[in-house]
Amino acid sequence: MFTARRWWEHKGLQIGLLALVLGGAWTLRQTQGTLLLELYQSITRPWQMLQQGISPEERFQDARLLEMKTRIVDLEHQNQSLQNLLGYIERDPLSIHPIVARVVGRSADHWWQQVVLNRGANEGIYEGDIVKSDGGLVGLIESVTPSTSRVLLISDLKSQVGVTVSRTGAKGVLRGDASSEASLEFYEKVPNVKIGDLVSTSTYSQKFPPGIAVGRIKSLDLKKLPASVAKVELFPPIKYLDWVTVYPKPKNQEQEQPNLVKKQPKISDSMLDKPTKQ
Amino acid sequence: MKNSGLAGKHHRKFLIRVRKSQSFIPSLKFWHPWLRQVLDWMITFWSVLLCLLMLPTRFPGMELLGIGPNWVLIWVVSWSVKRSPLSGALAGIILGLLQDAMTSLNPSHALSLGIVGLVTSLIQKQRFIQEDFISIALIVFGMNVLADSILALQFCWAGDRQVTAIWIFYQRVTLASAILSSLWAPVVYYPLNNWWQRMKLLAHP
Repeated sequence: MFTARRWWEHKGLQIGLLALVLGGAWTLRQTQGTLLLELYQSITRPWQMLQQGISPEERFQDARLLEMKTRIVDLEHQNQSLQNLLGYIERDPLSIHPIVARVVGRSADHWWQQVVLNRGANEGIYEGDIVKSDGGLVGLIESVTPSTSRVLLISDLKSQVGVTVSRTGAKGVLRGDASSEASLEFYEKVPNVKIGDLVSTSTYSQKFPPGIAVGRIKSLDLKKLPASVAKVELFPPIKYLDWVTVYPKPKNQEQEQPNLVKKQPKISDSMLDKPTKQ
Repeated sequence: MKNSGLAGKHHRKFLIRVRKSQSFIPSLKFWHPWLRQVLDWMITFWSVLLCLLMLPTRFPGMELLGIGPNWVLIWVVSWSVKRSPLSGALAGIILGLLQDAMTSLNPSHALSLGIVGLVTSLIQKQRFIQEDFISIALIVFGMNVLADSILALQFCWAGDRQVTAIWIFYQRVTLASAILSSLWAPVVYYPLNNWWQRMKLLAHP
């Protein structure tokens, strides 16, 4: 009895502290490190002020870009009137007012391809929102804290995006490769594609709105079994991301699209579209 | 006077260390043991926090193929190299949970870092190798490879990634990350070890 009490006096504090530390670590883990990320953001904020890169506004000064923009507006207008003629209802057009955010941190472990943004729930970012950069799709918001958010990049090994080859409509799944390239697995054995074809998100995708640019086909391996595989060069500079734009996630409007091509067999693309949360 | 007494009992290196830190010790020496203990905990806590907040940063020179040093692993090795296997493993598990908070919940880092803490404390470095810097770098190198292998196995087990992709990535990345971590290891190890040794001296003179 006495020895037990002495032992407890000696070790009790240590055990209590250990339990406290373990509990704290577990809580931080379950809250996805909200506290840590907030702290990180408040510490790095002065540095962000110091090293202001080229703001997105300045990029639009480029004359060639302005010319292209004019053309796009023109084409969009034309497209709109054609769609009106057809009675076509577009599924989830991207919102016109995206949230512009800056990348303030990279992934905390090389096994994940993530970035930390300096905008969060306070600015209206939610889990599952779509992140774009110059060049196209970058990733998906994985977790949000009041003033930061964490993005799972499409180059992550876990990422799967339903994509389509714009020229021919061949469809497949794009898997991340932890590099600036990704591998595209086609559904068909012999897809109608060639090197240099452009790849964008597909209409089946439920996580992403259709038609966001992703990359360009760099090489093809048609002999691979069970399906052909292509290497896709991603357009956005995944390794040197600086400014990105965040768009709200697409809402599922299945019921509201009466006159689209009669529901093609919904190849489980939506399911292939990757589980973001674990 | 006191130094000569110590020199008889203990190792010579020990004496040098005491002499060197003499100007600092008196201030700490007369602190209440409790206060000293709290200070020790505070410094340990802040060092962990600093390591965690360094993880998402990529300062120039700290990056190789887009990979930064694994600060948390370096901390775990520094902690467990002169401690018991139990405290090594526990520190590894706690730091693993914290690293989960910075990345993603599954698979957990607690397993790999816990094993790293355990193995490091079982190496019994001080018995075989006296020299500090290079041996720490070597241990960090080995432990980084071990931790990466365990994580790769966990990824295979989890099954939401392609197994071939995991192993290709493993081959590409392990060496770079191990080299980088081992080169940066002394930055964490030296000040922490210095502090813990000093606290040990004060607690058991």
